Amino acid sequence: MTRDDSEIGSATIRRLGNAGLYAAYAVAVVFALFPIAAVLMLSMKQASEVFNWPPSFFPETLSLQTYIYVLTETTIGRMLWNSIFLTLASTAGCILISAPAAYAFSRMRFRAQKPLLLTLLVYQMISSMVIALPLYRYYEALGLLDSHMGVILIYITVEIPFTVWLLKGFFDAIPPSLDEAARIDGASRIQSFRIIILPLAKPGLAAALIFNVIAGWSQFIIPFILLQRAELLPISIGVLNFAPGQTEGEITIPYLAAASIIAMLPALVMFVILQRFIVQALTGGAVKG
Amino acid sequence: MIRVQGPKSSSLWSRIQDSPLFWLLPALVFLLLFYTWPLLDVIRLSFTNASLISPDYTYSLDSYRRVFRDPATWRTLKVTLIFAAGSVVLKLVLGMLLALAIDAGVKRGLHGIVIVRTSILAAWVIPGVFVGILWKILLSTSSHGLLNYWIESLSGTSVGFLTDTRLALGTTILANVWRGVAFTMILLYAGLQRIPPELYEAAKVDGAGAFARFRFVTLPMLAPIIFIALVLITIGGINTFDLIMAMTQGGPAQATEVVGMRVYQQVFKFMNLGRGAAIAVVLLAVNLLMTLIYLRLLRLNRKID
Repeated sequence: MTRDDSEIGSATIRRLGNAGLYAAYAVAVVFALFPIAAVLMLSMKQASEVFNWPPSFFPETLSLQTYIYVLTETTIGRMLWNSIFLTLASTAGCILISAPAAYAFSRMRFRAQKPLLLTLLVYQMISSMVIALPLYRYYEALGLLDSHMGVILIYITVEIPFTVWLLKGFFDAIPPSLDEAARIDGASRIQSFRIIILPLAKPGLAAALIFNVIAGWSQFIIPFILLQRAELLPISIGVLNFAPGQTEGEITIPYLAAASIIAMLPALVMFVILQRFIVQALTGGAVKG
Repeated sequence: MIRVQGPKSSSLWSRIQDSPLFWLLPALVFLLLFYTWPLLDVIRLSFTNASLISPDYTYSLDSYRRVFRDPATWRTLKVTLIFAAGSVVLKLVLGMLLALAIDAGVKRGLHGIVIVRTSILAAWVIPGVFVGILWKILLSTSSHGLLNYWIESLSGTSVGFLTDTRLALGTTILANVWRGVAFTMILLYAGLQRIPPELYEAAKVDGAGAFARFRFVTLPMLAPIIFIALVLITIGGINTFDLIMAMTQGGPAQATEVVGMRVYQQVFKFMNLGRGAAIAVVLLAVNLLMTLIYLRLLRLNRKID
């Protein structure tokens, strides 16, 4: 190709490339959103429409009937409250416990430092199923089965490794000269931690909060094994046996769809609002290690 | 680290604060009580014939002997391996295509990139159970199964995505990829940003086409991140439980029974704590092996950097 040819050709090629990219985006967006959209539409159908043949993507009329029914006539309110309580209590507990530990790993040098950090990394990779078996036995013996307190303790424990690593990364980014200066001025370590480090690490604390909330909302194996009474179950477990009223089978599908949409909504809304922030925290941690 | 020599620092309280243990203690107590101890105990239990119903047990190698002789164990391991490997391949290929497409779009100043990224990432924050429920509803062969209706109109027969033993595992992989491809995409996209543009310029000057540039610049430069993603996806795949519980509960005919599911069934359905623990220890061993590989890769990366 000569110079002049490529001038004209490159503009065409460029436009073709752009069109190709937009086509790829369209496919990706449809693949990503179609399942959510289809279930959202299903949840807005009236119960009787489920048996219509052929099935349609859009409901005949957009109806909130199933949502009203699910929210008023089933125990979903209770399940949502359980999820919120377990998530918030364990998030608060985990950050309270992890932040001081992250301080020690960031600002002190001690012999067990490296092995401990490695152990945290290893613990992060182990399936909760492995520890859930013995925990079930302990809890049975201690009478802690079927208690929110018992479950919260484990939620906290399994999130400590990731939270410590995350916060350590943010603490490391604060110049040590800042808190050392405070200590030369007579501040104790606790004071310099509270007055210098914590305020400067606010983005880190926010990231820890977000990740803990997402993780807490998704917890499955632990509540699945350690909780049995229906009134204690978080929504992620309760939804598995979701049966509105006395009905069973096909008729429950729109209700199940509505319940799932309600349960996914808090995570989705939080994500859309905070996504830039989440993406940053995620890539920083994962690539640096 | 500077030691403060003021009058305050010599007090007992401030000396306590200088001890790492003071800061680590709450975390250590939680981890020892609720993680390390159960971890050791599950290994101990795997060498017993304990059951969930009777409190008495004796130590024996019987659990392991039975577990390794049981063809169901090997089938479970195979299912887990296929699930993990299928997820790895699809997530890496699709994640790479998405990362490249978004990277190219950003460089060309195309519109709507944020919408694309947000849509793909949305699936990633949905808890596994609900991902399972979404796909189960979507692929159902009942009258509300929209996708199957469309397939039937085109081909004449409906497809038993979740009821056909040959298809169910592939279907769970698809749902897992749908949820997780976003994470791979972000990792690879972040990696693409760290490749110096001069490398591409140099390759262009040498007459390399788009594919050659991808093959000889992008891939080698991304290799460390690709390997890290590979290990992380593998661990995630091996540990999957909630998604499969919601979609198939391990069925049909145990075609989707991954290791976690098998452990759960052994212990809580058949009350075989010893045998369940033995399978859990196998799962633990695989987790540890993968983590070791991950740590090696991280160390290699640091050397390259």
